Amino acid sequence: MIILGVETATTQVGCAIGGAEGVLASFNANRGRRHAETITPAIEFVCKQARVEMKEISAVAVDIGPGLFTGLRVGIATAKAIAQALRVPMIGLSSLDLLAFPVRYSNRLIVPVIDARRGEVFTAFYRQVPGGVQRESPFAVMTPDDLASELMARTNDHLLVGDGAMRYASTFSAVGGVELGTAGSAFPSPAALVELAHPRAIREEFVQPWELVPLYLRRSDAEINWDARESA
Amino acid sequence: MSEAAPFRILGIETSCDETAAAVVANGGDVLSSVVSSQVDLHSRFGGVVPELASRAHVDLLPHVVAQTMLEAGLDAGVDAVAATVGPGLVGSLLVGVSAAKAMALVWDVPFVGVNHLEAHLYGAFLEEPDLELPMVVLLVSGGHTMLVLMEDHGRYRLLGQTIDDAAGEAFDKVARYLGLGYPGGPAIDSLAMEGDPTAVAFPRSLLGEGHDFSFSGLKTSVITHARKHPDVAVADVAASFQEAVVDVLVTKARIAAKETGARGLCLAGGVAANSALRERILDACIADGLRAFLPSRAMCTDNAAMVAAAAWWRLRSDGPTGLDAGANPNLRLA
Ligand SMILES: [Zn+2]
Repeated sequence: MIILGVETATTQVGCAIGGAEGVLASFNANRGRRHAETITPAIEFVCKQARVEMKEISAVAVDIGPGLFTGLRVGIATAKAIAQALRVPMIGLSSLDLLAFPVRYSNRLIVPVIDARRGEVFTAFYRQVPGGVQRESPFAVMTPDDLASELMARTNDHLLVGDGAMRYASTFSAVGGVELGTAGSAFPSPAALVELAHPRAIREEFVQPWELVPLYLRRSDAEINWDARESA
Repeated sequence: MSEAAPFRILGIETSCDETAAAVVANGGDVLSSVVSSQVDLHSRFGGVVPELASRAHVDLLPHVVAQTMLEAGLDAGVDAVAATVGPGLVGSLLVGVSAAKAMALVWDVPFVGVNHLEAHLYGAFLEEPDLELPMVVLLVSGGHTMLVLMEDHGRYRLLGQTIDDAAGEAFDKVARYLGLGYPGGPAIDSLAMEGDPTAVAFPRSLLGEGHDFSFSGLKTSVITHARKHPDVAVADVAASFQEAVVDVLVTKARIAAKETGARGLCLAGGVAANSALRERILDACIADGLRAFLPSRAMCTDNAAMVAAAAWWRLRSDGPTGLDAGANPNLRLA
């Protein structure tokens, strides 16, 4: 069971390949060329490094967001097309899951925070479970101040990771019991994507390329403005 | 594979609000062509909303590609995959480009990045392989209004273009103001048939001044007129507006053909479906001794057969495009 993972939800672009023996090769870049220009050659690169031929891939995992819309779609369109061309199924995982999973050895509650731009962040709360993490709140988009208030209202200690946690570090570090992750945990991990997708693939928790939908969490401006005008 | 095996290109088009895929053999034989229009999605906003268009492309493209491959009777891939790389809406373009490159990687075949404007020119060759060159192409749509001299395959000269609104954009804006809905082109076209095109003498901008176009002033004077004369017949306004647009387009196309010594005149783009424009271009060509080419209405709107056709020529002249290609929303023809 070889799984290809594609991850382009934030300013990072990444991919990884692996299976039962773990992650065989992974790539990520946080600056340089744009997502669309990088991702296809990067997939070719990790396959080559792992000595995997495209036709050996039996499932395509993809980060479905939330994240930056344009970049997110590049990865999703790429992953869907690969799955479709190979006639293999897909597994969609959230960017917030991919941020939380690698820091699961902390004993704090894990709060991945992605910079959603426009003064907002995407976030959710996770706790450790055997073998991984489990989300215990809905995916949300909110202001850093609102998230800080929510953290303050809780009695737990929290670990905040992600580019949103770093960007609004001064807002969050003012809250008691908060530890901030470093740059190494700032972006969703393509290796975590493959690692998390594997047990799902074993359980055949698949979606087909035409069924997989991105997790935007925010509507388009045109729709928001339309509703504002209609209700005015 | 025998020597006579056809070379099949899967084309993908997502530059604006049509999600399209097609398979074309040897640059001219359309095996399948599927277009999924998003018109209903954008109509309440009176124009294409880029973010909604991009979202719809992501959802629709797998269906459209699957349908196209099925209709072409293919399952084990094609000989090349092409996609429109520009010009267009960047977020929309990226969906098609990303998908096309990924498929090319999986099937281990060339990827070809296609210029949308060039694709429109090749749409004409799909329906009329024996078009004589040089020809002048009047490319009019919601996004473009330009006069192009096609001297040979891959050799173009931009003669003139709009300095403000595209012709199709003017149709949409005027239709919206007159309460005719979206898209404006077909609405005005049918209403104009009941109106008097000489009822209002709207301005013909830049007529007699080179090959460039301007429709922004016309749009404003239509709106001003309708506001000043609220009881005027809408059909007359629609007909007079359309007459002004068509007058300018046809006059400039004729002059361009004459000046360049072109053998023919070809229409392309969504506005090429307009009945009055088609009729007037045909009359002009007969009067001037030019070959006229009017594409079918299906070929006027954005489709992927024209992308695959253009890709065949591009692949032969320039070779494959790298898998590190991105989208270029401001790509130019010449
Ligand atoms: Zn077009």
